[in-house]
Amino acid sequence: MSVADGVFLLSSAVALAGALLAVGLRNIFHNILGFALAMLGVAGIFASLGSDFLAAVFVLVYVGAVAIAMVYAVMLSHPLDQPHRPRSVPKIAAAVLVAAGVAGALWNVLRQVAWPVAVPGADAGAAVTGRRFLTDYVLAFELISVLLVVAMMGAVMVARRSRPGRGTW
Amino acid sequence: MVNLPAVLGVATALFGIGLYGLLQRRSLVAMLIALELMLAAISINVIALTTLTGQDPSLGQVVVLIFVGVAAAEVAIALSLFVAIHRAAHDIDVEHLSELKG
Repeated sequence: MSVADGVFLLSSAVALAGALLAVGLRNIFHNILGFALAMLGVAGIFASLGSDFLAAVFVLVYVGAVAIAMVYAVMLSHPLDQPHRPRSVPKIAAAVLVAAGVAGALWNVLRQVAWPVAVPGADAGAAVTGRRFLTDYVLAFELISVLLVVAMMGAVMVARRSRPGRGTW
Repeated sequence: MVNLPAVLGVATALFGIGLYGLLQRRSLVAMLIALELMLAAISINVIALTTLTGQDPSLGQVVVLIFVGVAAAEVAIALSLFVAIHRAAHDIDVEHLSELKG
């Protein structure tokens, strides 16, 4: 078993365990911590596939930014002090059934496809990706920048407290 | 061990867990978390199918970076919407947000 295999096994276990914590626990704050754990695991899976740059991006964006933003949203909308209502068993059973059905159908399709055999591929490191991003895919790169600026301004506008006498916005 | 079926299996399991959370949770933040888990599963699929099948691996990285950018924008908008909804309705439980229901 090589190092990549060990990293992959460990990361997969961490990702799936974190995902189960993220959807299974009752406390929304624990869900966010489980989500951060799951994203660390996904980053490890990327690292084991040779995509070191994406692993760093996932840790930075999801663990570093998205999870923190979610903690802030939970603090601003304090759902923690609301009483827990009992979950209805038929709804949980239906959700399990639908999710398992979709995942099973997906796996059935994926299993039957004859994927091309892996050949020692080209370099997937940060240098190649960065060069492609600023040459072949520079339009996508710029569009992401514009999208993030627009989303940030939109988030500020939507969450802003409207002042009395100045209309809704 | 790092072969295509194993990676696709992990991604499928992650997608299923995310779908279960999206269907079963009632808090909007918890549903957003489940949605992000499903997006991460899709990203794993893209990376696995570009690096392990001999395709151009840097193309997969570019695609997943675009996913990450779109997901970050989506999270920013969604969380600010949740804050605005909570301010208006004092609740982010989807079963209580039914004013427009016929």
